[in-house]
Amino acid sequence: MATKGPMQDPIVDPMIDPRTGEYAVIAPGHNFKSVTQKIAGIVLTSNTPLGWFFGLMVGGGVAMGVVIGCTWLFLKGVGIWGVTIPGAWGFAIINFVWWIGIGHAGTLISAILLLFKQTWRNSINRFAEAMTIFAVVCAGTFPLIHVGRPWLAYWLFPYPNTMNVWPQFRSPLAWDVFAVSTYASISIVFWYMGMIPDFGTLRDRATMPLAKYFYGILSLGWRGSTRHWIRYESASLLLAGLSTPLVLSVHTVISFDFAVAALAGWHTTIFPPYFVAGAIYSGFAMVITLAIPIRKFYHLEDLVTLRHLDNMAKVMLGTGLIVAYGYGMEVFMAWYSASHWEFFMMWNRMFGPMGWAYWILILTNITIPLTTLWSRKLRVNVTYLFLLSFVINTGMWFERFVIVVTSLYRDYLPSSWGTYRATKWDYMIYVGTMGLFTFLFFLFVRFLPMIPMSEIRMMLPQTKITRGGADAETVSKETA
Amino acid sequence: MKVPAGQPVVVTQIAPAKMTLAEVRAKLDGKTGRRFWKNLDELAETPAFHELMREEFPRQAGANEWVDAVSRRGFLKVMGASLAMAGLAGCTKQPDEAIFPYIKQPEDLVLGKPMYFATAYPFPTGAIPVLVKSDSFRPIKVDGNPEHPMTKGKSDVFTQATLLDLYDPDRSQHVLHRGQVSSWGEFQQAFATAAKKTSGGQGIYFLSETITSPTLAAQWKQVQAAYPQAKLIQWEPVNQDSSRAASKAAFGSYTDAQYKLEEADIILSLDADFLGGIGHPGFLPLAAGYAERHRYEEGKTMNRLYVVETMPTVTGFKAEHRLALKPSEITTFALALANGAAPQGATAEQQKFFAALSSDLKNSGGKCVVIPGEQASAAVHAAAYALNSALGAVGRTVIYTETVNPMPSEQVADLKSLVADMKAGKVQWLVMLGVNPIYSAPWDLGFRDAFANVPVTVQLASQVDETGAISNWHINKTHYLESWSDVRAYDGTISIIQPMIDPMYGGKSSHDVLQALLADPQQSAYDVVVANAKTYIKGDFAAGWRKALHDGWVEGTAFTAKAGGAGKNAVASSPAAAATSGLEVSFRPDPSIYDGRFANVGWLQELPKQVTNLSWDNAAIMSLNTLADLKLDESDPVKISLNGREVIAPAMMIPGHPDGVITVHLGFGRGVEAGRVGQGVGFDAYQIRTTDGLLSVSGATAKKVPGTYDLCITKVHNIEHRGSFAQHDLEKPLYDKEGVYSLAGHEAEERSIIRYATLDEVKKNPNFAHEGGASGTLIDKVGYSPQGETIPKSNSFFPDAWNYEKQDPSTLKIQNAWGMAIDLNSCIGCNACIVSCYAENNIPVVGREQVKVGRNMQWLRIDTYFEGDLHAPKAHFQPMACQHCENAGCEQVCPVGATVHTPEGLNTMVYNRCVGTRYCSNNCPYKVRRFNFLLYSDYDTESLKFMRNPDVSVRSRGVMEKCSYCVQRIEAAKIIADKENREIRDGEIVTACQQACPTSAITFGNINDKASKVAKLKAEERDYQVLADLAFRPRTTYTAGVINPHPELA
Repeated sequence: MATKGPMQDPIVDPMIDPRTGEYAVIAPGHNFKSVTQKIAGIVLTSNTPLGWFFGLMVGGGVAMGVVIGCTWLFLKGVGIWGVTIPGAWGFAIINFVWWIGIGHAGTLISAILLLFKQTWRNSINRFAEAMTIFAVVCAGTFPLIHVGRPWLAYWLFPYPNTMNVWPQFRSPLAWDVFAVSTYASISIVFWYMGMIPDFGTLRDRATMPLAKYFYGILSLGWRGSTRHWIRYESASLLLAGLSTPLVLSVHTVISFDFAVAALAGWHTTIFPPYFVAGAIYSGFAMVITLAIPIRKFYHLEDLVTLRHLDNMAKVMLGTGLIVAYGYGMEVFMAWYSASHWEFFMMWNRMFGPMGWAYWILILTNITIPLTTLWSRKLRVNVTYLFLLSFVINTGMWFERFVIVVTSLYRDYLPSSWGTYRATKWDYMIYVGTMGLFTFLFFLFVRFLPMIPMSEIRMMLPQTKITRGGADAETVSKETA
Repeated sequence: MKVPAGQPVVVTQIAPAKMTLAEVRAKLDGKTGRRFWKNLDELAETPAFHELMREEFPRQAGANEWVDAVSRRGFLKVMGASLAMAGLAGCTKQPDEAIFPYIKQPEDLVLGKPMYFATAYPFPTGAIPVLVKSDSFRPIKVDGNPEHPMTKGKSDVFTQATLLDLYDPDRSQHVLHRGQVSSWGEFQQAFATAAKKTSGGQGIYFLSETITSPTLAAQWKQVQAAYPQAKLIQWEPVNQDSSRAASKAAFGSYTDAQYKLEEADIILSLDADFLGGIGHPGFLPLAAGYAERHRYEEGKTMNRLYVVETMPTVTGFKAEHRLALKPSEITTFALALANGAAPQGATAEQQKFFAALSSDLKNSGGKCVVIPGEQASAAVHAAAYALNSALGAVGRTVIYTETVNPMPSEQVADLKSLVADMKAGKVQWLVMLGVNPIYSAPWDLGFRDAFANVPVTVQLASQVDETGAISNWHINKTHYLESWSDVRAYDGTISIIQPMIDPMYGGKSSHDVLQALLADPQQSAYDVVVANAKTYIKGDFAAGWRKALHDGWVEGTAFTAKAGGAGKNAVASSPAAAATSGLEVSFRPDPSIYDGRFANVGWLQELPKQVTNLSWDNAAIMSLNTLADLKLDESDPVKISLNGREVIAPAMMIPGHPDGVITVHLGFGRGVEAGRVGQGVGFDAYQIRTTDGLLSVSGATAKKVPGTYDLCITKVHNIEHRGSFAQHDLEKPLYDKEGVYSLAGHEAEERSIIRYATLDEVKKNPNFAHEGGASGTLIDKVGYSPQGETIPKSNSFFPDAWNYEKQDPSTLKIQNAWGMAIDLNSCIGCNACIVSCYAENNIPVVGREQVKVGRNMQWLRIDTYFEGDLHAPKAHFQPMACQHCENAGCEQVCPVGATVHTPEGLNTMVYNRCVGTRYCSNNCPYKVRRFNFLLYSDYDTESLKFMRNPDVSVRSRGVMEKCSYCVQRIEAAKIIADKENREIRDGEIVTACQQACPTSAITFGNINDKASKVAKLKAEERDYQVLADLAFRPRTTYTAGVINPHPELA
């Protein structure tokens, strides 16, 4: 493609699409077979890499933190944590919101980007969805264990009982139950359904009888017939339609946990959009955290390309700006409302004894990412993005810390002001959920197709059927 | 040696052979155990019982015992009863036998219906007559005796907490001889035999706690008659020596003062913490009298209180004008005032105070009073006598009477002579009655060394404490709720102490010990008291006795003014304060655990102390400047050296403390002897206390030692900014530019949480609490809600969400609407309400570590806010419990509906339904909800099970709880009213906090009844809601304070 002469085209990278100047979604040179072999090979190989065992062990070991922490928690009570009066919520709620937020990127990628026909999403959507589910697993742990009597946590669910007692539906915590359980179930269904064609492929290619049996069951009799494909596609669209509002609603409902309360610092109408944006912000950061090592480790650079990283960084830039607007508005409203409560809360948040948390948040969520993500160079710099993704997720964790803790610990009556200090059990369970997440993710990359083979295959040039003998469906797919 | 719990406790019940069957029967008479067999004989005859008894008591059941004068059958009867009592004592495991209900129910007992008995709590400064609530013969609540002319039903921190003291699981349960379990009979015999061998009691010394019992004094007279050489010395670490010495000088004999504050326009306290608790004699009538005159009502003259003090106390902060002085300066000040000349070297501020005070006192026309503190020097007392006499107060606001203590003495001097005798080997038997001198005696006496010189030492105490552990004999002492006695109260009235419960662990009282030396050593305390009561119960004795027991006091025994009137002016002969060098140290009894006697009472250890809000700790308390001078920060350990002795204490700053002096509180720093609660709490200030400096002493040095000590303070604002102010921000305070302020106190005023006005201001604008403009109401300054204080109804989606005139559908009557009004003018911050709440509502004690992270469980707290410059602040007290909001935030956010509203307006917790999300607490702007983060309630300690209020559930782990407005009392009143087919009368329901409040600051009732007291209070202009602009519409409202400052000092 390069032209001769002094004005040499800078785009000599084979990964760059000459028509658009963008990075290609898939590196050139792939065909149906190579894609299938590459992805299915990871699952069906008999040579499991040693690194995988190591990673699984580390993840599992750290996940023991959850097991040990919860055991002690159930034996003793939530008093082993740093929660107290006035800060009656602490790490558990912070972690819950953080994990749920992380999950949001997966749903956004699989649902909203599907509806918007952003085909680049295909390479990353499977493991982004997996990330969603594992994040929801981690998140879902917290509301259940954070209650004082966890053995009665099922009372939050509306189940018919002889006492005719129902949850109190005015409480945002009751709404949470619906939001999170709906979110978890839809995400799992969507994820599983998307994998059915790939399970069919794996079943057909598996040599071990156990794998054949296993994938055979999971593939639900998938034969790849046109009828199957038609149904598959329409089901995908339907589920995407169902999931799309969830991307907005779940974190909106979770923001209600705070916004509905009468506490200065919580009681604000800006929370729903700002929580959703924050969720997507942190979710994409987590996708990047996962994508970069995976593509390196499994040599998937040609399927998960710089194009994906660049696009995700752009999404982060966009959502990060919304989040920054949210922070700015909070400060502005604290002044503009002329409310002493709001004013004091903001002053205390910035300059009170826990002001350091606020400034960490501003640094990691606003200053570092939003000044650098404008640069395309940095957006495609894999190392930088990888580090930045950690910075952003630290920032997002601190955002929840600032909201939960610094609003609570100095509220209306100065006599009841307190402080919050997390205990080793808080940290153990928090770090434990990261281990649990890693553990589940390692299982996922080993036993399930982490990149949707069927969807990648559809993106290959080979699916571009020349006039005459064109398959209607694939044509429509391609032109999209 | 302590015998581990679980050991049978009945051995001491078995008297030696000389006990007759009749006596055994008499002993058994009226005994009621927790487990009730059909009858004891039937139980005693079963083979299973024989077997059990052999296993449990091989010594008693041994064959050689069968030949005793006690018949076999009679013996078994005792055993049976003892076992039944073991059940009562709760220190054995539950018997395996089936337990039957009553066949013959005791006559008076209706299960579930409490009974009330009058008795009195003996305290060194005068007894507190009480009314004890007893459920199934277990005392479960101690309150002031409403019929007594002095208490009028009010009570205080210590009296309330004696309940837990009774059920203290660490009480000693046996007579011990050289650490081995022995018996009272053996002691009695040994003691009587030894006494008989002496010549007239030579070498027999009694060291007793302060005696307030006329009967005990009479018994001592008898002992003296029999053994003229025996000696009795009274000694307590916190005593009234100053007043004794001064009164002897002024009146020629020991004299007590009784003040009538309801008559006084001007009150001057010279280091007298008369609003702090019964550590000051006559706390209850003084507090009531003060509050009565401090209420703001049209056409009533308000009193004005001046306080000159060292340690900032609630009295000082209630005062219109408070002057912080070192103890030595207080003496100088008092003497100067008595001489009418301003003290030398006084600052301009002190001069001003002095001038205003002098003019006020002079112009009051005798309607004034000067109260000297028990911890002030004798010279201060002498000055007070002279002032009261010169101002014409005697006979008007103060009378001088004979002492409550029938045998008054100057205790330190007596103790000194005792120790001298001990060292000289003159003491053969040292019998200590309820004192713990090894722990609390001034160190310079060398009491411990002298103790080793005494051949036989005996201690009667409720615990095997520091002294008991090294005494030859330890006799377990009965609690006052278990024994017979009589005592005098502050006004001299005699009350009979009657037992509420069988002694849980046997036990003996001082009466029994003295009786052991007399002709009839077996005579019970009851007989002794009855015999002596005949001297003061006039008329028909049987009727008078019954009346005395029923009423709780004996009519006509109150003291009258002593002849001799005002006494002579002894000021001139009083020693002026010695020149001081170095730091002064002031020793104070602790406001919560006094001299250490309540060290093992969890309620009191955990109770946030007055003013300091310290819990589970004592500290070296000093001023901001002293803290800075010593280069300390709060929580730094500081070594205080005094006369070559040292103690390490955590430093703490209290606003308003004078410079150059450190206040330490006594009673802490005890070892395992203090019991499971009291051990290892705080530091022991007795370590540096000498006989010369019992109250205060100069010449101390203080130095920081490495390390840090996390003080346990329930209000974080006290520690979070003050220390850093002192050290780093004296020049440029963090929040306020004008001075060194408490951020929290500043915010409390900015947010109109505290509102008050001066008398002039309230006259100008009676509605100052809502319109602002007064010195203590900043509403006009800060509009934290755009609508102002109250949200207009039209702004609400549900303008009539709470309809007061709601009809009960079944009766068509207008429903009750419960509400509370708290008068901030009357609240003195004494904490009595909190301890009362503890007892009433089965509130658990959580321990130091939990309090430190903010998990204390008190449903009610006294918020203390410091206003103004922290070098000389004002302070405000505000009781804060659940506000029972009509539009409660907690109810809307609970996902399971565990906190709900009743039609009568109570915000109730359904413990069974609570899953513990704690969302309600987050949404409560008053932060009055308390969460069981761990299993705080003690389900295991047997003795504590008896203490619980059966009408209130004991909350388990993971459950939210909070003030219920004593819903159990509301329901009880409803049941009674229903049965009598009438409405509940106003004042019929009294919440536990209201009941205890010495100043009647709390009023509870039906606000739908417009004639009710609470409705009238709420209709007052000064009534305001805390955080009104949040529109939670709290049912508890506060009456804004009014102060009456001197115009020149305002």
